[in-house]
Amino acid sequence: MPGLLLPSPVCLTVIWFLSWSLRSSCAQIWTDEVSAVQYGRLDSNVTLACGKSQIGVPVVWRLNHSSALPWHRVTSDGSLVLLLVDQAAQGDYSCYDDRGLLLHSVTLRLGHPPGLLSISCQVPNHTHVRCSWVDSVKTFLPAKYNASFRGNGQEWRPCIVDLARRHCDVDHPAFWQPIHTLRVTETNALGFETTYARFKLHELLKPDPPEAVLAQQLEGYPKRLNVSWSFPSSWPLHDAFPLVFQIRYRPQGSIYWSEIYSEDSSVVIFDALSGHIHQVQVRARDEVNSESQWSEWTPQLLVRPWEVYTTPDPVDGPEEAFDEDYFFPFDTKPETSTEKSHNPVHEDDGSLGLVILLVLFSVVILTTILSLIFVVWMRQRRRHHATKQELTSMVKMKSMPI
Amino acid sequence: MKLLLDSSSSLLFSLLLAQLPVFTSASPVPPRRPTDMDKLSNQTKNLMKLTQELLREHAFDSDVEPHRFRSLPEMSNRSANDLQNLELKPTLSQLHSDLKLYEHHFEWLNRVSKKHHHPAVPKLVEMIREMKSLINLLHRQMQRVEAPRLTPATPSLPPHLPYQFDVLQSSHELLQHFKLFCDWAYRAFMSLKPKVSAVQ
Repeated sequence: MPGLLLPSPVCLTVIWFLSWSLRSSCAQIWTDEVSAVQYGRLDSNVTLACGKSQIGVPVVWRLNHSSALPWHRVTSDGSLVLLLVDQAAQGDYSCYDDRGLLLHSVTLRLGHPPGLLSISCQVPNHTHVRCSWVDSVKTFLPAKYNASFRGNGQEWRPCIVDLARRHCDVDHPAFWQPIHTLRVTETNALGFETTYARFKLHELLKPDPPEAVLAQQLEGYPKRLNVSWSFPSSWPLHDAFPLVFQIRYRPQGSIYWSEIYSEDSSVVIFDALSGHIHQVQVRARDEVNSESQWSEWTPQLLVRPWEVYTTPDPVDGPEEAFDEDYFFPFDTKPETSTEKSHNPVHEDDGSLGLVILLVLFSVVILTTILSLIFVVWMRQRRRHHATKQELTSMVKMKSMPI
Repeated sequence: MKLLLDSSSSLLFSLLLAQLPVFTSASPVPPRRPTDMDKLSNQTKNLMKLTQELLREHAFDSDVEPHRFRSLPEMSNRSANDLQNLELKPTLSQLHSDLKLYEHHFEWLNRVSKKHHHPAVPKLVEMIREMKSLINLLHRQMQRVEAPRLTPATPSLPPHLPYQFDVLQSSHELLQHFKLFCDWAYRAFMSLKPKVSAVQ
């Protein structure tokens, strides 16, 4: 029994081990609390409480394990008041009692509450609206966004937010409304702010540029170029959504563009400058709504019209493929900007028709004139014949004996 | 013989004369005659152009929506997807009813503008005339495809506009709505065109 009452070395070891493990587990609890984050406003005073430290008990504060602290004071209850904090005041703060025991630890993050957002919307077609935003105030803090969208007098409907890219999408909006409103609420640890933005979707409508643009020479035609393209893939292919295309071209080196408008997907340029590389670009706009916007121009294509006795150059491709210092050897007179509203292939048909019509008309006129001449001649002949008959009868009468 | 020669030459001449207009009007590629749906869409586009001119010349650009007109045709339930799946008869009937409603609104605006001696009156008169012509054209098309005529909704119009500013604001609101309606109607006519050909 006395053996049980007296502290043996084994017992002491067990007690020490228990107390050590208890202390380390206690420290672990505090360490876990380091993950606690406190948010504060920049340029203001921020108070960090030292857990449940008692009033009057002196505490020691450390920032990132260093005793160097920003401008501060410590209150009687051990709280640390950081004065007019700046970004440098951010970090892991910990307070210890006078025996060096960790009492509390906290991570301080500083920033601003959300301000109003600067919002813009893109409308690539009638079925989709994407609105994106940027902060007018840099908050330095993580934020969440909640966005809704509506037309005049309609219910709010969600605009699906992509947090990383700071934009939201609305599919199938009620497009034919004069004004739409987007409401975005930004929330961070320091507060929230709601921004309202009003838009006229019909004025923001801007198709993506045409795709698969091809500029090709036409064999046997040194002044012609064939340009073709396809509708932007984001644009609905339906009779209800026609597009008008603008094609511009110029000989490389010239500063003047010539223009053609078309509602088809290809045009033939008839007035290319023989033997010269031409720059060609295409853009698109909604054909019905003249208040909508033109798409961006497609990248420049370079093409040289067909030439006799020459091997065609590689014509399609980015401009970089050609010599930047290409010299345009002629005096570049201002070309008049021409507007051709339809496919020139049809114009070809039209001119052929006109020629046939003119030929037919001349034949008719010629036939008419000939017939008239014939008729007049016939009448004169008849008259002459009658006169002759009269004279004959007169002579006969005269020769008759009375 | 003489008589024969005389008459044959006259006959030839007459035949040639008769053929002249035929030749002159003949074209190797005869132009396609515009269909009724073409006429409807063209007339709608014309109205849209007039509306835009009126907005440009006489209204003012304002983001403030006064909501004076509570009985304008409802556009909030019309999306781009609907345009791709329109049914012929109900759509023609609906468009006719919508146009009649707009006609009432514009006639009211015209009366009010006349009272205030607004300079837009001549163009408004022209617009109402064009609108009536479109309504008649549409009605004929409806009769052709046997589309029913809907009972037009009763317009609820603002009772009194004391100031020129109110007239301007109302004008702006009405024109803005009508411009978008024309945009939709034009697309609807374009969309219905193949369906009319299938019916007729």
